[in-house]
Amino acid sequence: MKKELLEYIVSKKHHVFRREIPELENMAEIFKSQGLSSKERMTQRFERLSELETPVLLENEKICFLRTIKNIPDIFTTDEWQKIKEKHFIHELGYMSNLCPNYEKAIRVGLLEIQKEADVYGKRIIDAIFKLSDRYKAEAEKQGKCALSKILERVPRYGASSFYEALQFFRIIHCSLWLEGNYHVTIGRIDQYIYPYLKNDLEKGIYTRETALELLEDFFISFNKDSDLYPGVQQGDNGQSMVLGGVTAEGKDAFNLLSELCLEASGNLLLIDPKINLRVNKNTPLEVYEKGAELTKAGLGFPQYSNDDVVIEGLTRLGYELKDARNYAIAACWEYIIPNYGADVANIGALSFPKIIDTCLHRDMENCETFADFMQAVEKEIRNETKSMCSRIQNLWFVPSPFMHALFDGGIYEGGKYNNFGFHGTGIATAADSLAAIQLHVYDQKTISADTLIQAVDSDFKDYSALLPILRYETPKMGNNEDLPDQNAVWLLHIFSDSLKGQTNCRGGIYRAGTGSAMYYLWHANEIGASPDGRRKGEPFGTNFSPSLFARIHGPISVIQSFTKPELSSAINGGPLTLEFAASMFQGEDSIKKIAIFIKSYIKMGGHQLQLNAVNSALMKDAQEHPERHQQLVVRIWGWSAYFVALDKEYQEHVIRRQQYQL
Amino acid sequence: MRNGTIFDIKEFSIHDGPGVRITVFMKGCPLRCLWCHNPEGFSVQPQLMYKKNLCTNCGKCFLPCNHPECAPFNRCIHACQNGCLSVSGQTLTSNELTEKLLSYQSFLSISDGGITFSGGEPLLQADFILEVAKQLPHIHKAIQTSGFSDFETYKKTIDGFDYILQDIKIADDVMHKKYTGVSNRNILENIEYLKQIGKPFVLRLPLIPGITDTEENLKAVSQIAGDFPVELLRYNMLAGVKYEMLGLRYPLSDIHNSSKDYTRFFKNAILK
Repeated sequence: MKKELLEYIVSKKHHVFRREIPELENMAEIFKSQGLSSKERMTQRFERLSELETPVLLENEKICFLRTIKNIPDIFTTDEWQKIKEKHFIHELGYMSNLCPNYEKAIRVGLLEIQKEADVYGKRIIDAIFKLSDRYKAEAEKQGKCALSKILERVPRYGASSFYEALQFFRIIHCSLWLEGNYHVTIGRIDQYIYPYLKNDLEKGIYTRETALELLEDFFISFNKDSDLYPGVQQGDNGQSMVLGGVTAEGKDAFNLLSELCLEASGNLLLIDPKINLRVNKNTPLEVYEKGAELTKAGLGFPQYSNDDVVIEGLTRLGYELKDARNYAIAACWEYIIPNYGADVANIGALSFPKIIDTCLHRDMENCETFADFMQAVEKEIRNETKSMCSRIQNLWFVPSPFMHALFDGGIYEGGKYNNFGFHGTGIATAADSLAAIQLHVYDQKTISADTLIQAVDSDFKDYSALLPILRYETPKMGNNEDLPDQNAVWLLHIFSDSLKGQTNCRGGIYRAGTGSAMYYLWHANEIGASPDGRRKGEPFGTNFSPSLFARIHGPISVIQSFTKPELSSAINGGPLTLEFAASMFQGEDSIKKIAIFIKSYIKMGGHQLQLNAVNSALMKDAQEHPERHQQLVVRIWGWSAYFVALDKEYQEHVIRRQQYQL
Repeated sequence: MRNGTIFDIKEFSIHDGPGVRITVFMKGCPLRCLWCHNPEGFSVQPQLMYKKNLCTNCGKCFLPCNHPECAPFNRCIHACQNGCLSVSGQTLTSNELTEKLLSYQSFLSISDGGITFSGGEPLLQADFILEVAKQLPHIHKAIQTSGFSDFETYKKTIDGFDYILQDIKIADDVMHKKYTGVSNRNILENIEYLKQIGKPFVLRLPLIPGITDTEENLKAVSQIAGDFPVELLRYNMLAGVKYEMLGLRYPLSDIHNSSKDYTRFFKNAILK
């Protein structure tokens, strides 16, 4: 590994090359006064920014291209945006995001070839890319970096002819897409479209496994050079998602040497980008899971596992062609997208399950004689809410990105082959548990009246302190393999997914239901007060598809048994079961193998996606400050395990110290 | 049908036998090993566990309640809003425990895992666990035991299991009495039986600094073990954590692990 480069980037020394150009900020005003079209504006901004960029070659790097201009000015003024928003639904920042263009083709044929088919704006942007890369080439020559200057003689104009060229080519495309103003630029199946170049070079003896890994690490570091400049909810929320393994378009096992090297590079570097997704299925050999578990042990929070058996089935059921479904990648966090063909907006909105329950609790429960009546009210509310969510998304418009457009066969301005919209479904466990509490206490046992429950929830249990422990700790919770709450979750997801059937979106596509939460586990939680499951006001929901934070959970096996009960292929917008294992559980070869077996079992049981974390000391320190948020955090202590928050402070300190030894 | 008392069912235990395990902890133990990290396994009676660090001293658990299950503790175990109180110890029939364990069957068959009975001392409830084991014919079953019982009980129990995790703590009987409270005479006899029957097993030696990790003891244990596998378990620095929850005092505070090479004393040892 090239420690020098890694240390250089991690310590942000390259920031010295950055500058802010305040005068750029009036760009939108100038564009407005000139009455320029959106495409013209995008093109001019790119031309301007790429001219202002300074070619910088870092001392120990092989893969070049570094952002040196910090600010990317908007192309519209605030007034203009206001007017656009009056006419259109604008998704997030309005620029194209979460897309996976046809990297494979571009790297294979070269940008000259892409340019031929591009529109006039795309042609100009590609010219600007050539100018910038030529300046990089000149800089390389000046510094006597012959290998690099030779590479830049070929790429990005012509198709890559080597592993090195292919990686450098990708870096130029990737940088250009960000510079164009797109964000959450996803990486896709790099182990598929780069592998042929590596294979060829290995056969020719140009690279060995070790030297290829070293170059790959250099390439991986490049994802961390500019990432703090990328927009996102939090630093690191940048959608640089890489997908490894899985099956080919023909259904054959696609895990190859490059997949393996990528896992290894990530584990060696311990950087937060690129984010690794590992596609697996029930027949994937245990060794692949073990390699994944090894990386999980590193404590980065990836790989995220994605089950081809469920995902491909689910996508084809939604109308994706089998060969496309087999080629799925990950956009943003966990949303499924098809490279080159998918213009899906996979995170266009989110349904809050607990809010549905809250509404029905307050509005309908007094009129519901039986629990079945109440369920009917819930169903009606879900259908109304999703219908209204769909109807709010009209006239979707994105700022047209000419380079992104050129990188899709057939373009992307007006959409692509697939134009589906995805909704997250948040707080599933909170909602399922709340339903279980209502069913058990209000309808079956009649120990709590409807009025009492409403008043308890509305007062945040202030005058109902005896009720709180019953609801919170003694009522069945999703995650313990108990049918009462679990079947509610099965039903809720089914209704959510079913309610979207037959709805057509404004781009002619359909809607996809999902199990993700993104930041809504906080946002949606704050939209309502306390809930019937004993959740206090202000307490967040579980992340994505996971048990409620305070539920007393038997263990991870019960969790996966509960969470594989729903038919997940019918809610396949993405959103992983999220589990946190203490890093101490990963000690020893035997443990890695057992964790691999555990992951594979989840896949075999029909789980769709899994986020398994080896918990680090930072999280545990947070757990000391906010024990209520980390009730599920498990630490393994030789022959037994404990909930971290239940340990006395001195023992907590001890575990934290041990964790640091491990790191 | 017999009743038994357990204090926990631990999912996904990594160090309790081959593959992914579900471990059932039986309540009650005739030994009092000074280093024991499961003190709730000592008594067969249900016990109140109190997590002090979550307590806000609200006093709600001291208000009178009419729950019969709370009567032994003079506290209401259902009153705590922060989840500080729980009862360790659940008595159930062999059918009830079987049913609980069968809920894991599909996972265990998918993962090729199994169930381990630990404790406490499972041999104290030998007939109960045998009743359960008989109802789980398709699941791999292991038992983790001190081996402290009469031969008949040991034999019939071992015969009902597929894999044995057999503790061997101290070879010298006087020392064994001093640190565990009981003689090791029948334990060593039972180990001799285990060595003869050809059933897969592992001997487990906890490395307690100054007590079991002495050269003298390691050599003596190695003699007994011969070629058979021995797992050497590092001292659990957090062993004392549950004592306070039970209102007990941990007798071995402030001892530390050593980084000595213990495996050299054995022909076939694994350091865990």
